[in-house]
Amino acid sequence: MKTFDYTIKDELGIHARPAGLLVKKIAGVHSSVTIEVKEKGKSADAKRLMAVMKMAVKQGDTVTVTIEGDDEDAVAPEIEQFFKENF
Amino acid sequence: MGIFTKLFKNAADPANTLASPAEGKTVDISEVPDPTFAEGILGKGIAIIPEGDTVYSPCDGTIDLMFDTGHAVNLISDSGIEILIHIGLETVSLKGKHFKTFMNTGDKVKKGDKLIEFDRKAIADEGFNTIIPVVICNSDSYSEIVAETAKNVAPGDLLMTLKK
Repeated sequence: MKTFDYTIKDELGIHARPAGLLVKKIAGVHSSVTIEVKEKGKSADAKRLMAVMKMAVKQGDTVTVTIEGDDEDAVAPEIEQFFKENF
Repeated sequence: MGIFTKLFKNAADPANTLASPAEGKTVDISEVPDPTFAEGILGKGIAIIPEGDTVYSPCDGTIDLMFDTGHAVNLISDSGIEILIHIGLETVSLKGKHFKTFMNTGDKVKKGDKLIEFDRKAIADEGFNTIIPVVICNSDSYSEIVAETAKNVAPGDLLMTLKK
């Protein structure tokens, strides 16, 4: 299992478009990927678009991303980089 | 298509059809000048160039998420269709201005219930495109999604037919 925390810097948070980009990025990943905002007690399967949108992640929220599966070592750095570049 | 054929087609599987949420003219989703929608990143769908100022529920279902900015709403139909209705492009940045919501996350809705009112002219005057993409977020669950493009639609008219 790989995990990282990322605090959202984008003023508008993870709304429709960023949620779509995230799900698209993760679609080809074999591992399961979950996102969680611990302080709000919410989590979602990052491969499910509606679930990601429903998180309504805002600027300043700290998102814990957990990657678990046979390609976790390869994909975790890519996913972390994606968060840094887009959110 | 004759009226009887059309009625029959609609009657065949009403749970897998969506009604137009707005008045306007429908266009193919690929014509939306925003790659997030045009390239299907959020799913397959259709778009409506609105001629009214209200968005109604396209089906019986549940509000999965009413965006607090009022510019978009996610619904899950009683048959499991996951629908995003997005009013205008880049309108998230209006942060709720010009939008008024009538339902909340978690509410049960019937087809035709009023969901959102938006000030179409004011949004356009601020330089935003007011086109309304309607996309199926779980498009992969359907073998075929037929969109009624290039039509003038009133709220409640057939917009999309989905096949498992």
